[in-house]
Amino acid sequence: MAEAYIYDALRTPRGKGKSSGALYEVRPVDLLAQSLDALRIRNNLDTPEVDDLLLGCVTPIKGQGYNVAKAALLYAAWADSVPGMQINRYCASGLEAVNLAAMQIRADWGQLLVAGGLESMSRIPMGMDGGSLLFDPDVINRTGSIPQGIAADLIASLEGFDREMLDEVAFRSHQRAAIAWQKGYFKQSVVPVYDQNGILILDKDEHIRPDIDLESLSKLPAVFKKPGELGYDDLALSKYPELEYVRHDHTAGNSSGIVDGAGLILIGNEAAGKKNKLKPRARIVAAVTLSTEPTLMLGGPVPAAQKALKQAGLKKEDIDLWEVNEAFASIPLQFQKALDLDPEVVNVNGGAIAMGHPLGATGAMLLGTLLDELERRKKKRGLVCLCAGSGIGIATIIERT
Amino acid sequence: MIRYIKDTDNIVTLTLDMKGRSQNILNHELSKAFHPVIEHLKQEKKRKALRGVIITSAKKSFLYGGDLDYLYNADNPEDIYAFAESVKEVFRDLELPGVPVVAAINGSALGIGIELALACHHRIVLDDPEIRLGLPEVGLGIMPGGGGVTRLLWLLGLENAFELLSRSKRMNPATALRKGLVDELARNERDMMEKARNYCLLTTEGRRLWDRPEGYIPEGKALQTVRSLAAQTFKKYQGNYPAPLAVLNTLAEGAKLHFDAALRIESRYFTNLLQRPEAKNMLKAFWLDRKAIADGISRPKGFGKFRPKRVGIIGAGQMGSGIALTCLENGLYVVLKDVSKLVAERGRDYVRKALDKQIAQAQIDTPKKEKLLKRITTTDDPNDFQECDLVIEAVFENENVKKKVTKESEQYLDEYAFFASNTISIPITRLSEASSRPENYVGLHFFRPVEKVPLVEIVRGKNTSDETIARAYDFVKAIRKTPIVVKDDWGFFVARVQNTYILEGVSLLQEGVPPALIENIGRQAGMPVGPLKLADELSLKLILKYEQQSSEHYGPKYIQHPSVPLLEKMLNELERPGGTNKPGFYETDEAGNCHLWEGLAEHFPAKKKYLKDKEEITERFLFAQALEAVWCLQENVISSVPESNLGSIYGWGFPSFRGGVIQYIDSYGKEAFIKRCGELKDKYGPRFTVPGRLKKL
Repeated sequence: MAEAYIYDALRTPRGKGKSSGALYEVRPVDLLAQSLDALRIRNNLDTPEVDDLLLGCVTPIKGQGYNVAKAALLYAAWADSVPGMQINRYCASGLEAVNLAAMQIRADWGQLLVAGGLESMSRIPMGMDGGSLLFDPDVINRTGSIPQGIAADLIASLEGFDREMLDEVAFRSHQRAAIAWQKGYFKQSVVPVYDQNGILILDKDEHIRPDIDLESLSKLPAVFKKPGELGYDDLALSKYPELEYVRHDHTAGNSSGIVDGAGLILIGNEAAGKKNKLKPRARIVAAVTLSTEPTLMLGGPVPAAQKALKQAGLKKEDIDLWEVNEAFASIPLQFQKALDLDPEVVNVNGGAIAMGHPLGATGAMLLGTLLDELERRKKKRGLVCLCAGSGIGIATIIERT
Repeated sequence: MIRYIKDTDNIVTLTLDMKGRSQNILNHELSKAFHPVIEHLKQEKKRKALRGVIITSAKKSFLYGGDLDYLYNADNPEDIYAFAESVKEVFRDLELPGVPVVAAINGSALGIGIELALACHHRIVLDDPEIRLGLPEVGLGIMPGGGGVTRLLWLLGLENAFELLSRSKRMNPATALRKGLVDELARNERDMMEKARNYCLLTTEGRRLWDRPEGYIPEGKALQTVRSLAAQTFKKYQGNYPAPLAVLNTLAEGAKLHFDAALRIESRYFTNLLQRPEAKNMLKAFWLDRKAIADGISRPKGFGKFRPKRVGIIGAGQMGSGIALTCLENGLYVVLKDVSKLVAERGRDYVRKALDKQIAQAQIDTPKKEKLLKRITTTDDPNDFQECDLVIEAVFENENVKKKVTKESEQYLDEYAFFASNTISIPITRLSEASSRPENYVGLHFFRPVEKVPLVEIVRGKNTSDETIARAYDFVKAIRKTPIVVKDDWGFFVARVQNTYILEGVSLLQEGVPPALIENIGRQAGMPVGPLKLADELSLKLILKYEQQSSEHYGPKYIQHPSVPLLEKMLNELERPGGTNKPGFYETDEAGNCHLWEGLAEHFPAKKKYLKDKEEITERFLFAQALEAVWCLQENVISSVPESNLGSIYGWGFPSFRGGVIQYIDSYGKEAFIKRCGELKDKYGPRFTVPGRLKKL
């Protein structure tokens, strides 16, 4: 069977996802087109060689609508032969695009693909596309669909994670991200965003706060208390009646940041690499998507990681570094607890709490971060996983070549 | 059926006047009668011989609602849908652009009655505070199906429409005007008809908002609003009541669609609801059972109707004051006595504050308040009871005090007046020993808060005469509450059956089920609060007292409930008695939050393998209550099914979507219920034994 190799990984810096954020003025199609430009130039790509662009995007409407993947390909003047498509698997989208590309290559029906994700949350906030799980009272009531933040609080309540533990995760995320930036660990992957005149708009992750301390984190209000009291707590308790109440401890500080950004991965088989003079950096060893109980919603990473290990015939000891998306602080905590992992090998350069979580793009970004760090540490294997809406979990294992 | 009069201005007045009925209701008959009328109006329109249409009624009310008997029995979805669509067709024909149509609402218009009015271009209502307007369907487990939901969506916006529909509020004309349900008030009938005619003459074309190209729903799609309302609806109903959710669904979907498609969605949800057991259960309780009680199911026959005018009340606490307020609001005069006039005046203050609140909510006006306040006399002298038709004592729960006030008051009453005690736990027969006329002595057990709880237990002592019961029954009806007649046994009906819910919850704790699970499943089953919380509210002492009384009653046949040791341990050893402001199963932290006591985990630790089956725990809660209610029927503590059902719903909040405590058995299926009792008995003990009476129900 053909192997799927990662030839390159890059991402834009992450801008704050609000009108004061640096990337707010940048159209989603520009963010993606600039990333495509960078990928083409860095790899001296002849674009007719690329079979497809698979792109994760969670709120594909307005500037991200009408198949933004194809729009950016055309705008960046890639070959007409590259079709491009946009997919939505909630927060798993970016990594799902990578996994789907890898599957095409392993099936030998594709040779060279670009996969990744895009999300401009400053322009198109989550949920703006409507959707029955969010806005249809019938569907909400029948399925027990609650906001993600309340699900994160529900996990913390069930696991007994208190506010201090959650804030500690957040603090560490900022510290690690700040050190990584300071030491230039992200340099290889981050491609700056410019305006049409070539004037720099952003070359750093905007959301990190290197100076943040535990005390100021502890003062932030619990943001999901109010919607919980509105009735979502009752929906949660109808599925988890052994809990007296849902404790609300997640804040803006220990939840992932709302940001803008795009990330791309170049994936191909061995022959395509040789033909295009590309050097393989890693091999995709396992790819899993599954789904778990929808009200708890964010419980997917643990079973997804376990299934991926099984698929690859590996044990957890075979994994050198782990990336688990910091959608909320309770997620990496639960992951470490369930798999009994050393925190020193999980999210070693910080995560979405510090740098932000551009929904559809995050999976591709985490994969790039993991690969860079494996190379820097000269380690072999890494596993990346994310929780996603309605119980979905995704995991990918890579191995350096 | 529908009178048709055309005047010289070519304005047609349609007057609804159903034969052989005191009220107009919209049944198949009236619906059919509309068709030829509409057809004729269309012809007139074509001939340009129609300037306007006014719809009014010859009865005291405008149109009192739908045909609940039909709705209760309807089970064929195609028939229901066709009926809803045919009504909608009539209404839609009326409002199609062209000749203006005015509803001249001369009396109460409820349910389909107000839906008809909503399908008119203009609504004028007589400004009579006794008139009631509203859509009470959701409270009956169903929803409006005549286009009312969709029209309110367009007229008021989604949020306001949902609030009005889901709360099933009936309002007076002034409130209805403020809420946007009607357009105009009229001083009297002549004024109303004049205004209606003027509207017809001045309006060149009647055209609804939804028939205008530029028309839009106020506040539009309101996505976030729908989301919040979905969560709020779950919190309030725990997913147990389909009607409010069906209304919300209809509104949410209707907001995205063209008007006529939205009407069809409304018919589909209407059809779906009507087939559901929740709708049948609620119609059974609130329509059939309520009617049976109103018709006097337990009122002794052969006594003329008692029309109370003046009520004496002893005790100006919350209970006495609440009873006073309820009596005043229903047109009675009140003499309120306490140990001093100063203390008795507290009752007047209570009434004044309550009425001020109603003024603030525009339910009544200031003259009405003044009028009611003049009807209350405060005193410390039992001599002032002389003119009273009955006296109710609501002093604190002490036998001697109750006996004392009985004696000192009775001497001033004439021989026709009766005396009532509002005791909760002292036998009426024992209290009546203090009475010189025990046949005129009865229990009238009100519930807290009196203004809100629509139930009164009439307790028949050993010596209480039939005539006194009949009078008590008429009195309770006069103050617009639901009477149930109960035997003078411990806890009467309500407290006795409610207690079994608590005891079952405590048994689960005893078995090692975590308390949070017990409490959550209690609430999720539809009970107002968890059993342990309820135990705290009543106090553990009272719960054990009922159990003690039960053991005295049954003597050697008594089998101790398995929850008793735990309750005794809580009370005696752990000193957590519950009751007002005292810690029990719960405790209040410094921030004022009430949580389960942490010590429960230590003293009653969860078993490793505890009962997790939500269905089984739910059934244990409900079966315990249903079985006790059947024992009450068997022992003549209560004598009818309608009283048991409404008593359970109003008395302790047994879930109305289950139709009440006996209807629950019917809805479950009697055979299946009996079989399940056998299984529960094998597993949990003899308290799940089936009383013989059940088989004959």
